[in-house]
Amino acid sequence: MIGGLFIYNHKGEVLISRVYRDDIGRNAVDAFRVNVIHARQQVRSPVTNIARTSFFHVKRSNIWLAAVTKQNVNAAMVFEFLYKMCDVMTAYFGKISEENIKNNFVLIYELLDEILDFGYPQNSETGALKTFITQQGIKGQHQTKEEQSQITSQVTGQIGWRREGIKYRRNELFLDVLESVNLLMSPQGQVLSAHVSGRVVMKSYLSGMPECKFGMNDKIVIDKQGKGGTTDDAGKSGKQSIAIDDCTFHQCVRLSKFDSERSISFIPPDGEYELMRYRTTKDIILPFRVIPLVREVGRTKLEVKVVIKSNFKPSLLAQKIEVRIPTPLNTSGVQVICMKGKAKYKASENAIVWKIKRMAGMKESQISAEIELLPTNDKKKWARPPISMNFEVPFAPSGLKVRYLKVFESKLNYSDHDVIKWVRYIGRSGIYETRC
Amino acid sequence: MPYFGSEETVKELKRALSNPNVQADRLRYKSYITKVIRYMTQGLDVSALFMDMVKASATVDIVQKKLVYLYMCTYASDKPDLALLAINTLRKDCADPNPMVRGLALRNMCNFRMPGMTEYIEQPIVAGLRDKASYVRRVAVLGCAKMHSLQPRTEIDGSLVNELYALLRDPDPVVVVNCLRALEDILKDEGGVVINKPIAHHLLNRLKDLDCWAQSEVLTFLLRYRPRNDDELFDILSLLDPFLQSSQSHVAISTLRLFLHLAAAHPAVQADALLCSSAPLLATCGAASRELRFAGLCHIQQVMRSQPALFNTHYKRFFCGYSEPSYIKFRKMEILVALVNDENVALVLEEMKSYCTDVSAELAQAAIAAIGRIGRTYSEKCLDILTGLLALKQDHITSAVIQTFRDLVWFCPQCTAAVCLTVESCVDYPQDSEGKQALLWLLGEHADQISSAPYLLEVYIDGLKTELSAALKMEILTAALKMFLRRPAETQDMLGRLLHYCIEEESDMCVRDRALLYYRLLQRGIEETRKVVTGPKSDPSLSVLTSAQEEPVSQWVSIFNTLGPLSAADLQLHNTALSASEHTDDTADTELLTEHVPVSMRDVSEAGVSLCAGAAVSPEAFEQMWQQLEVLQRQTVCFSGCAADTLQSALQPVHIQTLAFSPARALPWRAYIYSRGSGTLVLAELLQDDPEMLTVTIKQQPEHQQTVTAFISVLQSVLQTLNTGQMSV
Repeated sequence: MIGGLFIYNHKGEVLISRVYRDDIGRNAVDAFRVNVIHARQQVRSPVTNIARTSFFHVKRSNIWLAAVTKQNVNAAMVFEFLYKMCDVMTAYFGKISEENIKNNFVLIYELLDEILDFGYPQNSETGALKTFITQQGIKGQHQTKEEQSQITSQVTGQIGWRREGIKYRRNELFLDVLESVNLLMSPQGQVLSAHVSGRVVMKSYLSGMPECKFGMNDKIVIDKQGKGGTTDDAGKSGKQSIAIDDCTFHQCVRLSKFDSERSISFIPPDGEYELMRYRTTKDIILPFRVIPLVREVGRTKLEVKVVIKSNFKPSLLAQKIEVRIPTPLNTSGVQVICMKGKAKYKASENAIVWKIKRMAGMKESQISAEIELLPTNDKKKWARPPISMNFEVPFAPSGLKVRYLKVFESKLNYSDHDVIKWVRYIGRSGIYETRC
Repeated sequence: MPYFGSEETVKELKRALSNPNVQADRLRYKSYITKVIRYMTQGLDVSALFMDMVKASATVDIVQKKLVYLYMCTYASDKPDLALLAINTLRKDCADPNPMVRGLALRNMCNFRMPGMTEYIEQPIVAGLRDKASYVRRVAVLGCAKMHSLQPRTEIDGSLVNELYALLRDPDPVVVVNCLRALEDILKDEGGVVINKPIAHHLLNRLKDLDCWAQSEVLTFLLRYRPRNDDELFDILSLLDPFLQSSQSHVAISTLRLFLHLAAAHPAVQADALLCSSAPLLATCGAASRELRFAGLCHIQQVMRSQPALFNTHYKRFFCGYSEPSYIKFRKMEILVALVNDENVALVLEEMKSYCTDVSAELAQAAIAAIGRIGRTYSEKCLDILTGLLALKQDHITSAVIQTFRDLVWFCPQCTAAVCLTVESCVDYPQDSEGKQALLWLLGEHADQISSAPYLLEVYIDGLKTELSAALKMEILTAALKMFLRRPAETQDMLGRLLHYCIEEESDMCVRDRALLYYRLLQRGIEETRKVVTGPKSDPSLSVLTSAQEEPVSQWVSIFNTLGPLSAADLQLHNTALSASEHTDDTADTELLTEHVPVSMRDVSEAGVSLCAGAAVSPEAFEQMWQQLEVLQRQTVCFSGCAADTLQSALQPVHIQTLAFSPARALPWRAYIYSRGSGTLVLAELLQDDPEMLTVTIKQQPEHQQTVTAFISVLQSVLQTLNTGQMSV
């Protein structure tokens, strides 16, 4: 299926090349470089067909990852696989950058060897891979009998994502609700489109084979349970519950149980993993409102005023706020006055970047700028790119709340109360744009 | 990649690797090996170090082993004799107590690409298939496929195949899927792995244990299985149901394809499945990664071919983000155009309008073309926007708008007056050849409604000498002639000049011929010319261009979830934008377009065998075969008869040969025809004893049902066209 995998830097130099199938010649590496990386025009499609060979590429910062195949394959799968590959690499050595790839070059070859065989995906769970990848050099000789049997049991076990015999002195679990809120707003303040895509990431350090049950304030779940008998303060819970448009789970979650009882039960993998992914489009709390005001004064001057309003509980603090106000290409000078934070005109990025470290809820802040323009005879009107915003808030903009996470382990004697649990909500901005 | 001083580098490495001091220091030794691999990655030929690398393979360090194996796999085909030296070490490793070492050695041994390898790897593979560690079994199963690909022409080992089929029941899910993959590769010539009822049900029950990649592949394999009856079918569908909502979009899409395929006879079930999977598809379109978003959009477009209304309420999801790459924006615009209805038209047009001023000229032009397409139904609103765009006075926008006007006038004649008014008051005219051609067409076609038309045309005629594009010159000629027919007084003089110039001085043959043609036409008289040039036009409502009706699911399901939907071939907006922006010499792109065609073509031909003429069959041989063979199929077709040579010439292009036929108007009328396909010969007799009906009798040698089906469908379509042709006459 996948005939080969190549990794290039931004100049098109090959950093990693691994060919799995005979039908992919050694010249395929160069074909992609010449036709895609060094091509003059923009990338036309993430799938490029050169001489009956399809190249699927993904770009991470300035690194190109390309999968090559001669067969008519399932495109979505190849892309998903490339992302998974990125995730695995990130789990091993952090950010995917040229330097990191060069430094971990041996490790990457090891990974490629285990993940794919003859072009077929074999094993892509970071946790399970750890047993096969011998990072610290000589291990083969000193490998204990115990470790060997672990490999055998792990590779024969029914549950692919968790090995047996895990022991922790302290049973602990961390639950992160990570959301990214996306918005497209018209200049008049009308929401054109908004959605939240969220992930529930769990870090579990639990002994044995624990059975977990997860509950949240999803509308359907609550309605279902409400019918079951516990009708206490149904009105209250109805108000707080949220409507999830679609959600997907890690493979450890028993889907049949979710469909029939709407309960999310699973045996978690060890370490960090993504329990579920979901998307909501209704009743989103938009943490910030951006009100732009652009006035063109003659042909050589532009006045911009932007007000941002925070729209959440005053006790909470938003962090890392950054507002990016685009300026025309022929800007010659900018004067900025802002009430809070720091603002700077960055000529190289054609934008005024306004940064505020912290901001409490229900506050308002304002920036005004005078932009001087060079007179040009270019008739082209300035396209006015949208004002974009970045931030981080300590709540879930979708309104999702974790109601419980229960842990049952029948064989080892620790109960749900002994497990230390941590829950954290982080809402980040995705593409948060207001047109002006 | 030629490196300066590459020979030096190799020599230096060789010296270092053979240095006993280095060999004694394990870390230094390993760092040199790493260096070798790094050079190999960069494309430097380091095969000269093979001997030293083989020596380095005898180590306890697994990482070093892996690196050396990688090296050996790359160069083994160049140095087969030296590679044999390494095999002993590898075979020893295959018996190591550590399953990881066993698996590693076996995998790499199978990766050696050189002749004569089979005899060394056969025994370890067979042992590996029965290993107690599933890790080794996984490797061994794929090893079978690798062994087969080493010698693809050899006979297939039946016992090995049976063993692989048995391993489909292995407790380890990856082994199961690897078996399928290996069998598929090995049995490729026989049509791949056979999925019978027990296997299909076994796979379906194991599906939830598999990882997502395997699920996706198994679902594709299951496409081969046909359930016996409806009960079984619905059992299977209910097993598949949860996967329609899988977290991995590719699994969801694969499931959808299988669903649509299995439920081909139950349109209601298909519709339900599409409805059910619309949520995951939409989620893919909002995915964080742009490539997945792109794949999702392409698949949504396919689904919309049969269910255009499915995504109506979600049209806002297809608004373009500012930072999205253009390939996504193109797709989104296509989808938006298809989703327009009375309720959302205002918002969609507002959105489209903002794309028209995009930085990328190509995208802006595509957006304008999209507005034009919406204009075919909502012409008034769109005309306002397009007219507004002209005020921006930007060349690429003006050009695209004028081109859109031309198409709009063609599709909706009712907006002609408005367009003519706009063109008349327009001050800024397109500068590129495509735009000019569109303007000229409008001037020529509607000269009577644009009062200033002759003056505009005169500018172009005066500038003819400096004009380079032949297509534009032809357009000028046509426009001048049409205008002359409508407004002779104002145009006569310039038409004369134009024809004179084009006939006497023009060097381009096509232009000259066109001018001569018009000249001679005019000699025949004005009325004659008018009849030819401004005769009735084809009705655009009958054209294939406007067909927007719902297609059956079966039209696209065969390419669903393959590379097909992602190909740019069906991108209407993109293509117009391409031709407009004069990037036609763009080789990379044309290659992309043409390269993708075979993908879908192949799928078509796999489904419906193609016919070929092959060698001629002599009448005697035909007669002999006709008498020997059994009748395979008999069918009646509606056919009112036609001349024999018409039939013959109609059958020729579809590779059906006519052998003999009775004289025309004879009753009963007979014809004998034959064709070849998939290695079989199809013979047929056409018998007409009723003036309206034709009986087709088919015999075949050797029997192959698909070819017969293909033959009949081709024949039927030919006869149908002949029928309709006769009726119109």
